[in-house]
Amino acid sequence: MLTLGPLGFLAPWLLSALIALPAIWLILRVMPPAPKLVRFPGTRLLLGLRDAHPVARHTPWWLLLLRVLAIAALILGFAGPVWKPLPDQAGQGPLLIVLDAGWAAAPDWPERQARVLRALDRASGQGQPAALLVADGTASGTLPFQPAGEVAARLRALTPAAWETRYPEARTEILAETLAEAPQSGLLTLWLSDGLDHPGRAGLLAALAVRGEVTVIPPTSARLSLELIPGDRPALHLRATSPGTPPAVLAMGLDPQGMPRELARLDPTKPEAVTESGITTRMIQIELPSELRNRITRFEIEGQRSAGAIVLADDSLRRRKVALVGDDRATETQRLLSPLHYLRRALIPSTDLIEGGLEDVLQASPDVVIMVDQIGLPDSEALAAWLDKGGLLIRFAGPRMAASEHLRDEPFLPVTLREGGRDIGGALSWGEPRGLTPFPAEGPFSGLNVPADATVRAQLLAEPAPDLAQKTLAQLTDGTPLVTRAPYGQGQMVLFHTSANAEWTNLAISGLFVEMLQRLVQTARASSPQPDTAPAEDTFWTPEQVLDGFGRAQDPEDPVPVSAGDFTKGAGPGAPAGLYRAGERVAALNAGGTLALADWPGARVETAARTAGLDLRGWLIALAALLFALDALGSAWLARGIGQRGLA
Amino acid sequence: MSTAPKSLTLVELRAGAEAASAGLPALMLSAERLAAALTAGAHGQRRAGPGEDFWQYRPATSGDTARSIDWRRSARSDGQFVRDREAEVPQSASIWVSAAAGMDYSGGANRPSKRARADLLALALSMALLDGGERVALAGDPPRPGRFQAERIAQSLVTRPPLAGDEDAPPAQALRPGQRVILFDDFLGDPQPVLDYLSRAAGMGVRGALMQVLDPDEEGFPWTGAVLFRSASGALKHDTRDAGGLREAYLARLAERRELLGRAALNASWHFGTHDTAASPAQALLWLWSALED
Repeated sequence: MLTLGPLGFLAPWLLSALIALPAIWLILRVMPPAPKLVRFPGTRLLLGLRDAHPVARHTPWWLLLLRVLAIAALILGFAGPVWKPLPDQAGQGPLLIVLDAGWAAAPDWPERQARVLRALDRASGQGQPAALLVADGTASGTLPFQPAGEVAARLRALTPAAWETRYPEARTEILAETLAEAPQSGLLTLWLSDGLDHPGRAGLLAALAVRGEVTVIPPTSARLSLELIPGDRPALHLRATSPGTPPAVLAMGLDPQGMPRELARLDPTKPEAVTESGITTRMIQIELPSELRNRITRFEIEGQRSAGAIVLADDSLRRRKVALVGDDRATETQRLLSPLHYLRRALIPSTDLIEGGLEDVLQASPDVVIMVDQIGLPDSEALAAWLDKGGLLIRFAGPRMAASEHLRDEPFLPVTLREGGRDIGGALSWGEPRGLTPFPAEGPFSGLNVPADATVRAQLLAEPAPDLAQKTLAQLTDGTPLVTRAPYGQGQMVLFHTSANAEWTNLAISGLFVEMLQRLVQTARASSPQPDTAPAEDTFWTPEQVLDGFGRAQDPEDPVPVSAGDFTKGAGPGAPAGLYRAGERVAALNAGGTLALADWPGARVETAARTAGLDLRGWLIALAALLFALDALGSAWLARGIGQRGLA
Repeated sequence: MSTAPKSLTLVELRAGAEAASAGLPALMLSAERLAAALTAGAHGQRRAGPGEDFWQYRPATSGDTARSIDWRRSARSDGQFVRDREAEVPQSASIWVSAAAGMDYSGGANRPSKRARADLLALALSMALLDGGERVALAGDPPRPGRFQAERIAQSLVTRPPLAGDEDAPPAQALRPGQRVILFDDFLGDPQPVLDYLSRAAGMGVRGALMQVLDPDEEGFPWTGAVLFRSASGALKHDTRDAGGLREAYLARLAERRELLGRAALNASWHFGTHDTAASPAQALLWLWSALED
């Protein structure tokens, strides 16, 4: 930077263009105004005449002055003038630049680069060596001190990483090795912080403070991160380092035409903000229709260019996996008699269906298992283990259960059943088919409309028990239970006391059946996104799509599989944020997480770096534009004046 | 600089010409012109001569052929009488307006083009002559008397297309002895055809007037600075970087041209007048009037 009194120039070499001004003056002066074209019948009389004074008319001096002033203003403007610039930090000595390079540094990365380049320019002007510690966890070994120009070349090629900023481990011997080339005193450290605390920061700061002065440049804007809380009702945690109103969270996904677009906009101001030690956390519920939710590919904070502001959606957000277990022999001939047919039709639009024997489907770890008219379950241990971990078992009654002699001993039923069942609408019974009573307000079916023509002709009856009423989710008009539920470990068991086809009831062919099933399936706990396999089965996750530090999705250039152990540690070097696949499972690795503010004891914190001096560039260029406009007006006025004289 | 010439519609031209010629007394060409008349005119000359109308009976003298004796009159008395007829006017006027491209020039939006002004003068003059009973036509057409002839003249003035070139010369082969000819032009083209025409007209005893119609820009030459001059058709060009310096030379050449034409007109017993489109047309009409009266 060149300073002339109170005026500093960021690009002083541009001022050399001012030398050209006199030449421009001369050229403008000599250049005649453009000739006019005149149709003149008396041209014959002019033939052969010679100009008495063949000298161009001069451009008026004030027009010349305007133009030259405009050009001068342009040159001065592009030379980057700053009124009363802050002097750079004082001191002589090798320069160490610590550059936080995690996702939190991405939003203002160009400004960071510019700031570091400025410091490097100054260091190279003073002939001081410089070193660049890129805190993205990839560097190792001793930090080399090089001429500042070489460091600047390296810096220009750097991009932020798609994981958290990582400092060298805060162990004395590692820090000593890293800083082996650094002098023991007189080291100038410029630390471009992302404003967040990361492991090892305090140790590094202490080690650097011992060697010399540390200047910290915190970010000027708030950092935001987004994290998905999986569960039965997935939610987003929006964290910010400032309590102000955060930008909206956008749910992006494919629209029905297959084009990626914004599917929904989640209002971050609705939930209550919790501020704890400087970090404001908002919990945003993802309350979207399941059809929409299933299409979401990512959530992002509007306007934030960083990998931490993006949550990629994976299986945990997706559809529930439902396993159908039942006797499907009827389908070969009489499809409409098969109980599975109605279930299939009801569940296919909103869930992923798998079918097979109980043993087979349990290996696919479904969220819901639906068993139709099954008695004497053979594989009780695996089923018990699955239920214990949070599975939802839905069973339907049927003729086989009614005919069983061991119904009273049947496991995995929410209530004890009486043998034999009950016919209420048949040819040999006295009663009429029974309808349903409206659903209780607090149950899973609350709010569903009960059609008047939904009737039940046959059912299995529960043994009276004190807790029967608690377990009942739906009942018939005579008070007998139709749907009962009981917990089992972390999971639950649900029994429909009637059949899943139209044999015992016409419920299966009503719209209510579909809605009841969807409500039940939604209560199922989503399976854990983390690989829940045994260590012996150490899967490897292959990246399918990775994010860069700015949150831009791209195909992995060199997909290196990540072991399940590393995968659970979150995004880091070698495992950037992105979508990973192992077999049929797709899991997202997201960079955003908890935030913690950094504090800087003993370091000089450079605040308000941007207000260092008043940048005059914009004003000067505006002035040049104004002068050019005046010049255009003046030229037009001149031409008009000549024209009027011509007409006179 | 040059604006589009104002073109007149038929109605506007007629109305303007009527207004311009309203104040003129009926034109009667002087008796001197009748002497050499070859074609009969419409005006009785109060003397005997060849004509249609009866003039007087006079006693036959020696030299009268027997065929010329009016036997019906002679039978009422003893003498022989001859039936004389009144001599008639043979006078006709031919008017020519240049159609050169340069005539469409007008230096300002508030001025008519030279051609519009020349057309107006031509028609006004025609009407005045026709009102006086003269035969009038545009050059090349047969002269006819009557009010309807004014319509025809106006029609052909308006419908006549302008030429693409800079030069238009009056048709020398249309000259007839005893005619009066009025030429309207800016006379800024090649003067030689006009000079030839004048000498031929003088040889045939044709007399008339030259009316030079000019725009004030052509008389004043107001340009300064760098100007690319083009003739109306673009055929002639003169580029200058200091038009103001050319003014003197141009005005000198214009005066020289006028002197040349004036001298040639004088030699042929013609009249040479100039008219400025910024001036009133009545002025020019009065001058033309007086030029035709002598």
